Amino acid sequence: MMSSMNDVVKSLEGFNPFIEEIDEREVKVTVSPDRVIAVLETLKANGYSHLSLMTCVDWIDDNQLELVYILFSWKDGGKFIVSTRIDRNNPKFFTVKELWPVARFYERELHEFFGVEFEGNDDMRPLFLELWDEKPPLRKDFDPRDYSRKKFPDRKYEKDVIKEAKIFRGEING
Amino acid sequence: MGEVKLFFGPNHPGMHGNFSVHMYVEGDIVKRARPLPGFLHRGFEKLMERRYWYSNIALIPRICVPEPDINEACYAMGVEKIAKLDVPERAQWIRMIVLELARIANHLMAVGGVGGPIGLYTASYWGTADRDRILDIFEALTGARVYHMYIVIGGVRKNLTPKIEDMIWKTLDYIESRLPDYENLIFKNRILHSRLKGRLLLTREQALEMGVTGVGLRATGVEYDVRKVDPYLFYDKVDFEVPTATDGDAFSRVYLKFKEISQSIKIIRQALEKMPQGDKVNVAVSKGSALRRIVPKGMAYAHIESARGEYGFFVVSDGKNKPYRVAVRGASYPQGLYGIEKYLPGTRIEDVPLWLATMDVCAPEIDR
Repeated sequence: MMSSMNDVVKSLEGFNPFIEEIDEREVKVTVSPDRVIAVLETLKANGYSHLSLMTCVDWIDDNQLELVYILFSWKDGGKFIVSTRIDRNNPKFFTVKELWPVARFYERELHEFFGVEFEGNDDMRPLFLELWDEKPPLRKDFDPRDYSRKKFPDRKYEKDVIKEAKIFRGEING
Repeated sequence: MGEVKLFFGPNHPGMHGNFSVHMYVEGDIVKRARPLPGFLHRGFEKLMERRYWYSNIALIPRICVPEPDINEACYAMGVEKIAKLDVPERAQWIRMIVLELARIANHLMAVGGVGGPIGLYTASYWGTADRDRILDIFEALTGARVYHMYIVIGGVRKNLTPKIEDMIWKTLDYIESRLPDYENLIFKNRILHSRLKGRLLLTREQALEMGVTGVGLRATGVEYDVRKVDPYLFYDKVDFEVPTATDGDAFSRVYLKFKEISQSIKIIRQALEKMPQGDKVNVAVSKGSALRRIVPKGMAYAHIESARGEYGFFVVSDGKNKPYRVAVRGASYPQGLYGIEKYLPGTRIEDVPLWLATMDVCAPEIDR
């Protein structure tokens, strides 16, 4: 870990984080859900002001959803992966759109793909999918093959070779 | 007449890929704008979870059409970070050469792409024709012109032969000899100046708040480049500059792209000289079939500076032979969604395609 990141990690000690070093410039910070916003605010104040990505991982065996915020510093090139786990059956979290305006769209996307509700973000219209009628598609228990079989069932198609040949020859209009 | 609703896209000659903007206009002025993505949503993130680590290489270049190599590079770097693989040195230099060639190709296409909405079609023709020379290199090196599937986990697929090296040197000389023509005919052209100068202004604070990366940010005077700040591959071993401008308008963004072409040429020349010789360009990761590869548990985020800004892959592995989750950070996500909603109101209708072209809104990487 770089020395500048070490200092930032020390300032996070009050939040009782679980620190994992992935790389010299990449650190994963796992905290409990009620402390995430404060951790993000602290990191933002320490120069990690660029929200690279906000995403979600579905840990179906643990019945949990992991929310991931990746923060990047343009000063020293360090990355913080801030992660927290929320209940999968009742996925509710708080918005960070006041910290990063673009998070509004990331939250909309996560609501659509994982079914996470973000309190404080009132714009939860579908973003990418149209007329979606199933469970959120990026959850692990959603099977795209079953869905497409159900939604677009196979039709019976019997080929009439003679008729097609006649159309081909121009004897009848197809 | 009051407010009128107009549609820009999803199918439009001035649009790269299918993306729609709903504009509410009064006269010529846009009052409100609403981005409407989703036309190119192909569900890559879900598809990747259902395929082997290695077979995803064939899938991911399709996420971003104009510059596909960045996907392969990010994915491979992310997996290598989790698996703690050592990539052969020569392979890393070859990756750099491929990425920079892709950047030149993309910038040439972007310069051409601006030609369309403003009616300076010479730029489109020249950009497309010169980009084809780079695609010729890719065809010789990888066997494909657009989707190369060349950068794989553990290295690159094939070695760079002396014949192709010679071809790269010649093509770089040719493109460099063309740059003064571009400068004289396109960047000193009155059409370009009157249509782009002072339009679609962004201040430094606005760009940083929006989260824009790449030329959109550097045009506001900030020297932020992932290649410099968080060097990957061997970008810390080559000498290059990051061109910046202070105007923050559409013209300076296009001009920065043009200036980056000569920096990329500089990087490729250094890489060709510094590259060690040898045959080893990839490492075998597991015995037997590459499809049976297992990546240890872990997660990592790998990002690179693409032609449009920071592009990244967040890869999660649960220790099986398929990825558990792969999330893609499209470089044009902020300016394509938040930027359109916030900064297009107040501009004129004809500036909307210019925002999409100069800020590099790439629909396939937003939708995924």
